[in-house]
Amino acid sequence: MARFAGGKAPFLRSVDQGGQDTKKIMRDFLIGLIPVILFAWYKNGIQVYINGDCTIWEMLYPLAFILLGGIISMLMEGLVFVITDKETRSLKAIMQKINLSFAVVPGLLIALILPMYTPIWVLVFGCFMGTVVGKMLFGGFGHNIFNPALVGYLAIGFTFSGLIGNSGGYLNPSEVLVDSYAGATPLGTLAMFKTISWDTLVAPYGTLWNFFLGTIPGSLGETSALAILVSFIWLSARKVIKWSTPVIYVGTVFILSWIIGIASGDSGLWFPSYSILSGGLMFGAVFMATEPVTTPKNPLGKIIYALLLGVLTVLFRMIGNYPEGVATSLIVMNIFTIPVDQVTAEIRANGITKKTWVKAAVMLLIILGIGFYAVTKSVNTYTIFVGFFGGVM
Amino acid sequence: MILRKAKGKHIEGKKQMSRCQPLQEYFNPPFVYLPLVHQNVVLKHVVEVGDDIKVGQTVAVREGFGAMPFHASVSGKVSAVKKVWHASGKMVEAIEIENDNLNRMDDSIKPEKNVEGLTKEQLIKKMQDAGLCGMGGASFPTYVKYMAKCPIDTIIINDVECEPYLTCDCMLSLNYPEKVLKGLKYFMKAADATQGVIAIKNYNRNVIEMFAILLNDYPNVRIQEMNDIYPAGWEKYIVEQVTGKTYEKLPSEAGVIVNNSATAAAFADMVENNIPLISRIITITGEGIQTPQNFHVPIGTKVAELIAKTGGYIEGLDTTKSWYIAGGPMTGRAILIDDLIVDYPLGSVIVMPMPEEKDHPECLGCGRCADVCPVFLTPTSIKSAYERKDIAAIGKLNAMKCMGCGLCSYVCPSHVEITDFVAKAKDMYRKGAK
Repeated sequence: MARFAGGKAPFLRSVDQGGQDTKKIMRDFLIGLIPVILFAWYKNGIQVYINGDCTIWEMLYPLAFILLGGIISMLMEGLVFVITDKETRSLKAIMQKINLSFAVVPGLLIALILPMYTPIWVLVFGCFMGTVVGKMLFGGFGHNIFNPALVGYLAIGFTFSGLIGNSGGYLNPSEVLVDSYAGATPLGTLAMFKTISWDTLVAPYGTLWNFFLGTIPGSLGETSALAILVSFIWLSARKVIKWSTPVIYVGTVFILSWIIGIASGDSGLWFPSYSILSGGLMFGAVFMATEPVTTPKNPLGKIIYALLLGVLTVLFRMIGNYPEGVATSLIVMNIFTIPVDQVTAEIRANGITKKTWVKAAVMLLIILGIGFYAVTKSVNTYTIFVGFFGGVM
Repeated sequence: MILRKAKGKHIEGKKQMSRCQPLQEYFNPPFVYLPLVHQNVVLKHVVEVGDDIKVGQTVAVREGFGAMPFHASVSGKVSAVKKVWHASGKMVEAIEIENDNLNRMDDSIKPEKNVEGLTKEQLIKKMQDAGLCGMGGASFPTYVKYMAKCPIDTIIINDVECEPYLTCDCMLSLNYPEKVLKGLKYFMKAADATQGVIAIKNYNRNVIEMFAILLNDYPNVRIQEMNDIYPAGWEKYIVEQVTGKTYEKLPSEAGVIVNNSATAAAFADMVENNIPLISRIITITGEGIQTPQNFHVPIGTKVAELIAKTGGYIEGLDTTKSWYIAGGPMTGRAILIDDLIVDYPLGSVIVMPMPEEKDHPECLGCGRCADVCPVFLTPTSIKSAYERKDIAAIGKLNAMKCMGCGLCSYVCPSHVEITDFVAKAKDMYRKGAK
């Protein structure tokens, strides 16, 4: 009689049969970043060099900046492994651990959502807050509650946002020369003037076509909807992300902005289009709202999550302190991931029964309530300002 | 509701392995071991060591719910009552019968004179007396299904066999199609059903064509082709595909009874010749087997003898790095010692080398497990509820609905034993709820 090995059903795994495993998912995710990185380099480096506004070495700077973010966060995570685990001493073991925890991702993402002239030490600080505080202190890959890249980004935003402005800010060497750019970014302009009008919001940057292509000022990776769309198609086709999450998120922002526009007296489709094409919405929707660790796991939860994200983003953008609302709403929703996941999992497992319909109704009411509040509040703000400006001029 | 639509998943079948060899009969094992456990219920044995036994003689009875007798599968002498490895993964008591190879039949086994005259009650009585139980895996006493109070209009024969590797039902349909159809006819009579359906996967062309020819004699029977996905052989999925109806607990709520094709074939023998349930077809397959094939054997035969008949394990098989699986690869159990016996629900034994062990990252929370779950559970939430020992949450998440199909572990990109976690959560809930 021969002895056999123990094991647990099922004995077939798609991973063992060459199916999609986590490493391949993360590799495909990194490949998905390439269009965005390349565009950021083109817009802030190559194009500027062609215009003759910088030297050839400065042309390489944007690319180096992004890659540096990835390298810094890998180094930091390696350092954490060395400090916390006494047995991890050899370079090979550390590399293996870094590989399994995908250390390069948060750093790359932080660099992509920062403006180009962020001082390097601020980037280092952001990577530290992101990977060490936001990820490793929570227990490493798979255990973090907040999206590490956003933790780093917001830490920088709360502390050093002024510094970024002083050292060059959002405008690349070519853009600095353009006089018509009033605010740093289109969303900055909106926050400054609090008025919905084509002339102040879109006209200085050309047409909405420029918004789509990404030739407007902004953070490195966020400006080009086109590049992000290419990434989105790749990531959805490779089943790295669910296509529905970004579509619902962006769609919610579009519809709510449209309603706000109509209520403020401008029913054109340009305002909702402007809303979804400016700022970090596209980038956040494709690369961050789909981040698996910190978002709900079940399909219904993902839909609810995306809806709430859209509503919150509009709320924060229109009446918040900061011009941008994507990062804040993502972090806020990270907190609600566990309850949303729990409630939607229950609803999904039982169907909408007597037990769960109250929960379902409450959840729906919350979404509608915040959405209604956001719309009315911002319509008030904007119509008042529209009236005010109308009176003055 | 769009969020609650079961999609299933295509899994490579690997069925060619055991299908190209013809079905072999092996009716004279030197010993058979009749397990004294059925569906976790301990049986009372009614024979003693030294008794002379004929084929079809009652050797044990199940009492209480699902009461029914179990029969000897060979003739000879009861030589011992001893412990053997059983498909449940545990050692259980079994009656050892030394085969005298004379195949002496019990007096009760004789052709039924008036098959057409049998009433509904007589047919159900026959199911019970012959010890008919489901042969697809759960081994549920068949007559209990037919005692249900709900009106039944459709009988479905489950010939889907969605587990990879297995070909025992396909082989049975190829070799005894008449028996399957006759069994179905008697089942329909026993339930007063007006419609019979044979559910079968659409790639089984030769089986479907063969049934199609024979169906001329069976006016109320049709074939339902099923997509090649897992778990297409799940009762609820079949009922939904065939009738468009769904149900909570039992198919009879939708007016349907589902039986395995092997059960139907056995029932045909019972009705026409009064032969109790004493044999079954089993697939011996896997990458670790010399020539995978199917055997028709008496219940209680040692699997080791069958493996020897296939030519044994492949040369150089490192058994400590291989699995010996009782049942299908998705829901079966790893048996640690290759000393298994054939039991009623055991459709296959698979020997396969373990895949290479690799380092796997943590669960990244992608939610693929929740996407594929045919009963719409969220395995990750159940896992975290289990880890916090939150029994109330396990209940709310409806973990008891899990049927252990194994798809969540199958698709997991991080190789998390998520099916096992859900099974543990179910255990915790059962203990906590008591």
